[in-house]
Amino acid sequence: MIRRTFRATSSPDQSRGLAREVVAFLAGYIADQNVLHDVDIMLTEACANVVRHAYGGGEGGLEVRLRAELGAFVDLEIVDWGEGFGEGARFENPGPESEGGRGLFIISMLSDAVAIRTDGGENILAIHKQIGKNAWKT
Amino acid sequence: MENLTVRREQSALLLKYEGEMTLEVIPGLKRTVEAELASDEVTAVVMDLSCVEFMDSSGIGFLVSLFTRMRAAGKGFYLLSISSKVRKTLNLVQLLNYFTVVENDEELATLLA
Repeated sequence: MIRRTFRATSSPDQSRGLAREVVAFLAGYIADQNVLHDVDIMLTEACANVVRHAYGGGEGGLEVRLRAELGAFVDLEIVDWGEGFGEGARFENPGPESEGGRGLFIISMLSDAVAIRTDGGENILAIHKQIGKNAWKT
Repeated sequence: MENLTVRREQSALLLKYEGEMTLEVIPGLKRTVEAELASDEVTAVVMDLSCVEFMDSSGIGFLVSLFTRMRAAGKGFYLLSISSKVRKTLNLVQLLNYFTVVENDEELATLLA
């Protein structure tokens, strides 16, 4: 089991950089580029949600906690210490004319399980993705 | 904006972006395209996505807003040569058939003729 935590500030460039950093780390273990792209999109969406909503337009802490069972799955927790998810978290695909609101839907489509919770002062978006044996480096 | 190539073909505005279309770059891209659209009578916008390998929901929102704007004005909006990864993302959010997708320059030339 691999465990690693990655940290950044919730600015647009740092949040994208954080997703890239996690994916670059996983690329050491996962060979399938499609899987890595899926993880990249999920992390980018999750981190962008923190940038947009967590700190009321300001910046704050952003963390990705990775747990991977080689040959089996990846768990990702995207954590902030901001305002929390409130009533606004939606996992449905909005209508085609909507300019926003697709982030959580995209994550739900690319993962096997996704959940949001608040634990103490931490707001956590938890993603579980099963990754078949053939996708991993040997 | 250095990653954006803008050219005119007849009255169509052809935009080619190279790189990732994410939250980082969308505000700047919006401003640049707004300025281009304000300058004269553009009858259609063509967004070349052949060199965009990564798009998040901010990029998708940008395409939707541009399409909505052009359609409201009775003008055209086309996506040209979508890369396979962006195609997958647009398909995921069920928008691939919402846009008019043009596969290559020949098809585009026919459409704009």
